[in-house]
Amino acid sequence: MAFQKMELKDIEVWDGNRAAAQALRQAQVDVVAAYPITPSTPIVEGYAQFTADGYVEGEFVMVESEHAAMSACIGAAAAGGRVATATSSQGLALMSETLYQASGMRLPIVLNLVNRALASPLNVNGDHSDMYMIRDSGWIQFDAYCPQEVYDLNLMAFKVSEDHDIRLPVIVNQDGFMTSHTAQGVRPLSDDEAYAFVGEYNPMNDMLDFEHPVTHGVQTEEDWHFEHKARQHNDLMTKAMPKILEVFADFEKQTGRKYNPVEKYDMDDADVCVVCMGSSVETAREVASEMRANGIKAGVVGLRVVRPIPFFEIADALKDVKAIAALDRSSPNGAAGMLFNEIAGALFNTNTKALLSGYVYGLGGRDLTKAHLVALYNELQANADAGKVTTQLQQFIGVRGPKLAFL
Amino acid sequence: MAKKGWDEFEIGAMLRTFDGKIDDIAGTRQEDRAYSQNSSYTASVADWRLIKPVFNKDYCIDCQFCWIYCPDVSIVSRDKKLIGVDMDHCKGCGICVEVCPTNPKSLLMFPEQADEETEIANWPKKDEGEA
Amino acid sequence: MSEVKNIKNLKEFSTSADRFEGANLLCPGCAHSIIVREVLNATNDDLILSASTGCLEVCTAVYPYTSWDASWIHIGFENSSTAVAGAETMYKALKKKGRLKQPERTPKFISFAGDGASYDIGFQWISGCMERGHNMMHIVLDNEVYANTGGQRSSSTPIGSSATTTPAGKISYGEKRNKKDMMSIMAAHGIPYAAQVSPNKWKDMVKKIQHGMAVDGPVFINAVSPCTTEWKFDPKDTMNIADLATDTLVFPLYEIIDGRELNITYRPKNVIPVEEYLAAQGRFKHLFKDEYKYLIKEWQERVDEKWAYLQRREEARV
Repeated sequence: MAFQKMELKDIEVWDGNRAAAQALRQAQVDVVAAYPITPSTPIVEGYAQFTADGYVEGEFVMVESEHAAMSACIGAAAAGGRVATATSSQGLALMSETLYQASGMRLPIVLNLVNRALASPLNVNGDHSDMYMIRDSGWIQFDAYCPQEVYDLNLMAFKVSEDHDIRLPVIVNQDGFMTSHTAQGVRPLSDDEAYAFVGEYNPMNDMLDFEHPVTHGVQTEEDWHFEHKARQHNDLMTKAMPKILEVFADFEKQTGRKYNPVEKYDMDDADVCVVCMGSSVETAREVASEMRANGIKAGVVGLRVVRPIPFFEIADALKDVKAIAALDRSSPNGAAGMLFNEIAGALFNTNTKALLSGYVYGLGGRDLTKAHLVALYNELQANADAGKVTTQLQQFIGVRGPKLAFL
Repeated sequence: MAKKGWDEFEIGAMLRTFDGKIDDIAGTRQEDRAYSQNSSYTASVADWRLIKPVFNKDYCIDCQFCWIYCPDVSIVSRDKKLIGVDMDHCKGCGICVEVCPTNPKSLLMFPEQADEETEIANWPKKDEGEA
Repeated sequence: MSEVKNIKNLKEFSTSADRFEGANLLCPGCAHSIIVREVLNATNDDLILSASTGCLEVCTAVYPYTSWDASWIHIGFENSSTAVAGAETMYKALKKKGRLKQPERTPKFISFAGDGASYDIGFQWISGCMERGHNMMHIVLDNEVYANTGGQRSSSTPIGSSATTTPAGKISYGEKRNKKDMMSIMAAHGIPYAAQVSPNKWKDMVKKIQHGMAVDGPVFINAVSPCTTEWKFDPKDTMNIADLATDTLVFPLYEIIDGRELNITYRPKNVIPVEEYLAAQGRFKHLFKDEYKYLIKEWQERVDEKWAYLQRREEARV
């Protein structure tokens, strides 16, 4: 059956959801099984419209829940073809059981996760609670800070996920509303260029190969389970990152757009820096430039690859700074923030004398303002000048009421 | 099966039933299939049995009730004839004996240690009381 | 193209080359594997199979062994239906795109699940699959209890049965609720075919499975699976219990076409009193105490009433 290609302008005005839907269309996904949830719904709707207008040759199934969406994705991926879906927040929570099953079975699936707060209380806006919740689920996780990156990382996600040495599902994160619903200029590839970049799907252990029957989803008890989990962790730790770097390099060759596991901005001579994810990286970059005009050598580090964690790249990016702020957009609920802990882990056992403090911000879509960041950079400079963290190690910023600080 | 190290098996704990390719499984008898070491066909549950079925072909009418109702694919029928019991896979449930319609029965359960030839030699006679 | 396998009699059936293997870990005398064998042997077509977490799954795919000769997948407790629906969707996509490795072959997509995984935890997933019209068959291995975890009640557990979470005790006769009528619920989806089967009636089973494989769209099959462990009877008696289930009409064998047309497919020559079915199983033992004998009478009345209803439905042709 034929399908139509779409003529795209050099620069399209797309929000993050549109960018994701377009990338899925161009990748000629074989099966999309999905369920709508704010704020990722427009990805699913957009893809449905592409299907209705004859731009999609693959199958699109609207199932009855997110758990079923990922269940169908797993069945489809095991059958042997390209598979993708999208969700947010509660939807991710509902499908979380199957996320471990998808990665444990080593099935390539691309999931667009439009980050949103987790209830209760219910909230439809962007924070990173959902991203954090499934960080140990064995999926590779990319983080996009703007619609262009959503588009680019989707195309790259298939290439990493489907590689026979990798065969791990990939999540592309973007901030709910801040990225998903904010239209910006996006430079797309043509349909042919994009598909050529992603490449033909190359099946492996496919159920639909009737000459080689396979059993997927076995039980392993104490005599085998540890070895299988160890194998998966090994492949994430040793195989995934080299492949990601290779795909990033291929993409740069084709588009000139360069991606790194850890993105550094103004870091060459920075004394103080914030480490964050999502659209906050862009806000922080702007503030860092302004701080520099005021004599503070400010920098920004953004995590592009969340899993596998770029452990040594983080340490390397931060080795020469004096004070670091880890910005976590998820309530740690009784611990230091995830980024705080990851950075602390990466820097421990190194020669750095850098001071590390953590900030919890932006829950439920609360804005991270430039004023917040100015105050934060000044606090870091004060830490650097004093040679010690002058505040408590964990502070909440942007929340009303008496100041919250811990540790 | 020997326990393997983490780097010695297929990713995803995936198992293949056969070595190499198989064209037509439904058209290939078990003895002609190249089962991999991962097929339970290559394993045995003989040690589960406390009692075992003994087949006496003298009375068998090849009705195939035992074949269809065997839960463990252990009644071996070829060319519509019952040729024996697969003692690696039989768990000794006794269903085959229950469903056997002949008089006397063509299959009977005996203790696992019983000698097959002796039991066949001493097979019960027709039960005249049975309708 | 697929051809319907010609199975005139049992001798002919016995020439089938099984695609399910022994040395699985199911209990001696388990009806699950008898049902699976009858289903798989009903066709020579390629098969794509799935199973929900449960006895069948944990006993047939324990690393490093598989008992499946066709491709098979297990994800979780609730989603064997959706797993196979996903595979079926991929088949359609690759067929359309001309990317099937063996395009001339027409696989059948079958999901197996227990009653817990179908009546309870997987109910929504099955409903979704039936509603969306996938070309697949969902088969319930209905042993009326969570057998894999040791005998907890499900919504398929019949009234008066002693399950570990609704045990019979000094002041209780066990399960208080009547079995959920899954056949009616599934038929109400308007699916092309729904049928109740029992492994003792192999010919009825094969006919229904073949019918289900021939129709275009989702099919629901409820198969009674007498459980030696939880129903508490001797392993050798599995088929005797199945005979009692069908011949007491506790498990009437019937089919519903397009959600409307009901056909009774087996009418026992001699209908056996329900009491004999109950008496043959340990799970109902307590019902024979004087204070609970009224429940046996009520059981018989319920079975009679259901049978009368099925006959009315059949006659009405609506």
